[in-house]
Amino acid sequence: MLSESLRPYFEWCGNTWLGTAVRNTTWAFPAIETFHLLALAVLLGTVLIVNLRVFGLGRQYAPAAQLARQFEPWLLASLGVLIASGIPMAFSEPSKCFESVSFPIKMGLIVLGIVSQFTIQRRWVINGDAGGGKAKLAAVLSIVIWTLVGAAGKGIPYV
Amino acid sequence: MSVLSVCEWLQSVPWAYGIKHSTWEFPVVESVHSLALSVMLWPAAILDLRLLGLTMQRRSVSQVAAQFLPWVWTGFTVMILTGALLFCSEAVKCYNSPFFRTKVVLLGAAGLNALLFHQTVFKKVAEWDENATTPWRAKLAGASSLIIWIGVVAMGRALAYA
Repeated sequence: MLSESLRPYFEWCGNTWLGTAVRNTTWAFPAIETFHLLALAVLLGTVLIVNLRVFGLGRQYAPAAQLARQFEPWLLASLGVLIASGIPMAFSEPSKCFESVSFPIKMGLIVLGIVSQFTIQRRWVINGDAGGGKAKLAAVLSIVIWTLVGAAGKGIPYV
Repeated sequence: MSVLSVCEWLQSVPWAYGIKHSTWEFPVVESVHSLALSVMLWPAAILDLRLLGLTMQRRSVSQVAAQFLPWVWTGFTVMILTGALLFCSEAVKCYNSPFFRTKVVLLGAAGLNALLFHQTVFKKVAEWDENATTPWRAKLAGASSLIIWIGVVAMGRALAYA
């Protein structure tokens, strides 16, 4: 899927100290992936808790905007851990990432997810009228994007 | 009849064999298994963190539990179902793996920890419900749960690469 002209950049990543260190340490990859998965659980869990609330789930507890505000630091922290743990994993197997269709799709979706978090999520869910159509649109987009990010990640070793 | 021979039979059953050897079935079931982790683990961790007094201190413990335990049970059900499918498809590998065995022991410990918590200190939650600082048994239950579930995830990952 990726243009052949990008291959040298991927190869460069694989030859860095980071890439070699992860490859040559027996348990490094599954250990890093454990943190990656735990952080994904925090990110996606937060996305679901906040955005399903927009659709009325858990109505008796707190409004979506309040939940969104309360959990935003967790969301951003988990995103930081996901990126920090994702880079060494990608650097350890750049050719697999280069050949994979899932990898570039995942990267594109992450950018989309981050942009939507700081634009429509902030405007329509955190600061908006949580029952409105715009909030619902932002909620669906957020759930779909981040779920697909997780699924595309699982897809990297396969396709 | 040994457990190993049951495992051998299990992974030879056509649908179990199909999961392992088709292009899509294993990664799809594994994806659902990983995504369900988000539904279960983070809500469980929020309750654990509340028990430790580290988050949502202004909300009562029983309200946090009422809000998040349904998530935990929903996610847990999906995890057990998809986990059972993954296990059946490579039962012999799991049976022989020290990581899988540790994972099962940790799941048992998680269940026991939750049961003990609900049977003891949570029964008297009314006495400490609104407190930001919770009784030591509640803190112990929260900390144990966090550590056990991190271990469960780590064993799952180790199992995949062993």
